[in-house]
Amino acid sequence: MLNCKQASQLASRAMDERLPFWKNASLKLHLLLCRSCSKFTQQLIFLRKASRNSKDFQNFQLSDKAKQRISKTLNDKQIP
Amino acid sequence: MCDKTNLNVQTWLEDYGDYLFSYALLKIKNRHQAEDLVQETLLAAITAKNTFSNRSSVKTWLTGILKHKIIDAYRRQGRETAIDDLIDQDGSDNLDYFFRTNGSWIDKPDVFSNPESALQQEEFYQVFQQCLSGLKPRQADVFIAKEIYGMSNKDICKDFSLSSTNVWVLMHRARLSLSNCMKTYWTD
Repeated sequence: MLNCKQASQLASRAMDERLPFWKNASLKLHLLLCRSCSKFTQQLIFLRKASRNSKDFQNFQLSDKAKQRISKTLNDKQIP
Repeated sequence: MCDKTNLNVQTWLEDYGDYLFSYALLKIKNRHQAEDLVQETLLAAITAKNTFSNRSSVKTWLTGILKHKIIDAYRRQGRETAIDDLIDQDGSDNLDYFFRTNGSWIDKPDVFSNPESALQQEEFYQVFQQCLSGLKPRQADVFIAKEIYGMSNKDICKDFSLSSTNVWVLMHRARLSLSNCMKTYWTD
């Protein structure tokens, strides 16, 4: 039987790759019995959504204005 | 020849501008300054174009230049301690902060009561960004590359010179920290 530390590691790994059959089965069993780890798994899915969205919320994007300014500076630099 | 060079640099801004910007923003926490750092980085890259070797990807090379620019910026601000933080390779594999020795949660994870509404709120992303800034440098680098910019594990291994085990260890710790941080600072 997995403990929560092991289960959380597998849950995180399962976000990125397909787990081997038995590992997956023991994770599923643990999640069925453990509320905390099942909540953690839901949080992982939520974090993924939040990450993908955060890009669209422009927090992580250069503004068009900044892009234009940088592009202009770079172009000026190109001309000897 | 000149045309080709010109074209390359333009794609650098298009292809890597946002990535470099988010990297700088997380370390510097000031949008305007982060924009300037992206510009300085690309300018330096144009000058040093000949030193680029195909051993690394353009992205890794640019990020390397940016790191030096950030360290310079820290120095100007007299933030010596932060430099160590930036270079920290974060090699330990310690989950003691989250789990007891028997493997049970110290602080039980929780879900938000209204996750969908959180995702629609500007404030939520500010908290999220702050939590990302609080991650160890390596964790943040890998998490951002993967979850925000959708890089594959394979590319991450190559770009950051990590084994696939390293990547999932870093990802796991980033996720544990973020989940904890969001639980603390976001109340819906």
